[in-house]
Amino acid sequence: MSAAFVPNIVGFFCNWCSYTAADLAGVSRSHYEPTVRIIRVMCSSRVDPHMVVTAFLGGADGVLLAGCHPGDCHYVTGNYRTRRRFALLQSMFETLGLDTQRLKLSWIGASEGNRVGQVVTDLTEAVKQLGPNPAREAMFL
Amino acid sequence: MSDALTISKPPDEALRAFLAFLLQEKKAAAVLTLDRIGKDAAPAYSLITDAKELESAAPLLPIMPANAGKLLAEITELGPSPEPIAAVLKPCELRALVELKKLNQANLDNLLLISFTCGGVFPLAIRNNGGINETLPAYRDALAKGEVADGIRPTCRACEHFVPYNADLTVALVGGPGSSGTSTFLINSSRGAEALEGFEGERTEAKLESDAIDALRAKRADEATKLYTESETAAPGLDGLISIFGRCLSCRACSTVCPICYCELCYFDSVTEDPAPNKYEAQLRHRKATRVPPGTIAFHLGRMTHMVISCVGCGMCSDVCPVSIPVATLFSMVGKSADKVFSYVPGKDLDEELPLKKYEVDELSHLGEERIES
Amino acid sequence: MNGATVAAPEGVQQAITELLKRGLDEKVFGAVLVPARVPAGDSFAWLLVRDSAVLDEAQPLPPVMSVQGARAIYRFARRGVTGKVAAVLRPCEVRATVELAKLKQVEIDGLVLISMDCPGAVPLKAYVDDPQQGDADFEKLLNGDQTPARDICKVCHLFSRPASDLHFATLGSDNGQASIVAGSDQGRAVLKKLGIAEESSLDAWERAVAERQEQRQQARAEAQATLRQKIAGPDKLLETLSQCINCHVCRSVCPICYCRQCYFESQAVLMPPENILARARRKGGMRLPTDTLLFHVGRMSHMSLSCVSCGACEDACPSSIPVAQLFSLVGDATQKQFDYVAGRSVTEPLPTITYKEDELPDLVAPYVETYSGREAAS
Repeated sequence: MSAAFVPNIVGFFCNWCSYTAADLAGVSRSHYEPTVRIIRVMCSSRVDPHMVVTAFLGGADGVLLAGCHPGDCHYVTGNYRTRRRFALLQSMFETLGLDTQRLKLSWIGASEGNRVGQVVTDLTEAVKQLGPNPAREAMFL
Repeated sequence: MSDALTISKPPDEALRAFLAFLLQEKKAAAVLTLDRIGKDAAPAYSLITDAKELESAAPLLPIMPANAGKLLAEITELGPSPEPIAAVLKPCELRALVELKKLNQANLDNLLLISFTCGGVFPLAIRNNGGINETLPAYRDALAKGEVADGIRPTCRACEHFVPYNADLTVALVGGPGSSGTSTFLINSSRGAEALEGFEGERTEAKLESDAIDALRAKRADEATKLYTESETAAPGLDGLISIFGRCLSCRACSTVCPICYCELCYFDSVTEDPAPNKYEAQLRHRKATRVPPGTIAFHLGRMTHMVISCVGCGMCSDVCPVSIPVATLFSMVGKSADKVFSYVPGKDLDEELPLKKYEVDELSHLGEERIES
Repeated sequence: MNGATVAAPEGVQQAITELLKRGLDEKVFGAVLVPARVPAGDSFAWLLVRDSAVLDEAQPLPPVMSVQGARAIYRFARRGVTGKVAAVLRPCEVRATVELAKLKQVEIDGLVLISMDCPGAVPLKAYVDDPQQGDADFEKLLNGDQTPARDICKVCHLFSRPASDLHFATLGSDNGQASIVAGSDQGRAVLKKLGIAEESSLDAWERAVAERQEQRQQARAEAQATLRQKIAGPDKLLETLSQCINCHVCRSVCPICYCRQCYFESQAVLMPPENILARARRKGGMRLPTDTLLFHVGRMSHMSLSCVSCGACEDACPSSIPVAQLFSLVGDATQKQFDYVAGRSVTEPLPTITYKEDELPDLVAPYVETYSGREAAS
């Protein structure tokens, strides 16, 4: 019997909203599968799209971008930029025949502790369907 | 219908005469155009200040040894040209220049931009052993008939933007109005009109868009469909990317000649991406082996995220690749799809902001789920 | 000379792979750097291998030199390695690695360098366009027929015994066996750990190598004499470089050119438009991109003392310029001035960072001889 596939998801969480929400999820003892590795960034727009590529080619089964709801960005307009960049990434992945379902953009407000688990679980389930990222073991990247 | 000038000379000769006129009348301090000055009359772009040097100029030669838009940007990188410079550019080179201006890497002041309806360019390899001359008759024939010429760069075959945007003057070549032995310069701006004042020729009215142009556009669209769906670059997936980039040397020739890639030191060559033992050790924890130099495909996809939205499909990248990787086909394909998301055509509208520099408060609502939990 | 002999029932490449496998499995090395055919089959890429099973797919001596081995090394090992990494390299790749070590871009202590007699390589672009033909061409090289080799390989006299730790003496090797020469204490230690004794005489091999070296040296002298004529003077040199599009690929594939940002691509060569126009006016016109000759001759002045004539530059040039032959000609000449051979020894200091108080007497015209004649006349 082979070991069940445990997805490895890289999450970029913005400090002010989504990371705070993740903290809240923690202190609320909200349970969700611990598949996400959280990288805290000050704003979701700090994430250069190539970082998502690096995570994907590094072997991440899923990449999650979490930011404030549009209109609520701590830096006012950051997440509008994130949204456009994500549109670019999605289009790129689609055109290149890579699994767009491995990428997810979610708006998580600071008070939405319970959403964190939901979002992570959603992506985890989607990724489980897709299976491990072949980039994880590929040698000739 | 727009203002035009009809000249009783074939286009190459007419342009040479016009460029000489600009220099002699001091309407331009210098002209940038293709010049056949190398061994075996190898063509290269030259900035010419003395009209005598124009004897060897070949403004419309279907070859692109460097993207002229990039050259103009490099000239004006540190500031606007203090004196007027006239440049003969292919439509994609002009689009690249416009993108570079939007990226604050070029200054268009004092530039007279001359372009033409373009039949595409031949790959650089054709210069070896002076092969260009042999291809010209068939090429010009195809141009006149509005056909896709044989042997041109793949991205040229698929290019639908062969009618220039933002040119002060456009030389009609595709399905050229008028008989052979004459040329038509379409006047698109007051700068263009001023430049032409006093030059030989008859002022007329002419229409650029013609049946030949429509026909060619349709043919190019077919070629684009073929190129982007039938080659190995069509939706390659990870395996396909590994196949395409397996032979990549990480030499950066593609990004060096790319007009859009203007960074003096590419991020992917910077200290941040420098190797460290822990990096490859981490990789070897879940791979049996890892390729060196590291990050071959990551460089290409990363570069894509940085510049593909402005890709003009000029094809310089594929041409210089030492191992024949179809970089241009892949990048222009991704660029086209990405640009569609933003309804953007790189280099078309000078006043249109770059897609990633602007945003709308309400847009792309399908991205970024917002489900509010009750 | 004595060396070790190992069984090689399936040829030398297999013997090399076996040694690497044993080295990994018996923890003599922590990882191995070796070429392998890429999945598409049209080229070869370097793999840093930890799992010895992967080595079944390795090809220690590929038909082409895709990424120059020394460049591969510093691209992952510039900041050092953990444990020993064994690298299988062609002699010119070893020499480049040695130069890079002296240029402080590689810590050679962490590496075990393994080389073999090199039959040459076939041109890279032709190979990727038709790998089957390329493989057939390489077979010819392995059998001693130099015709399909790259021009730079045809005149290479340093195809054997570089400053590596272990060298496979493959020239004229018998079927079924492979000979190994240890080139250093580290090499000897590796053989000892693997229980391989150095008990065979390699005199026949030494003679074969010497013979070929002489042939190549002659060919090299002839080729360089012809080239010198061809490029004599700036006009002729410019003619040879007339198709150059200043893409700088020659620089970026060169193992010695390690600068992340080349001087000739930096702010130092940026010019405001006023200067550009002034320069264009001087001669009535100026080719763009400009300063082609400056780039090439300037690059020569920076790296020719370490040029190992590997030919990566010429393989990569999109304009089919004989860059390798050009740089190799100048490299040989400049290195000769200092009795230096790039990559010969890691302890031999780079000519530009060492000096003797009394040397190069012909370069300096002494005051007395220059001026005394004039003084007497005035």
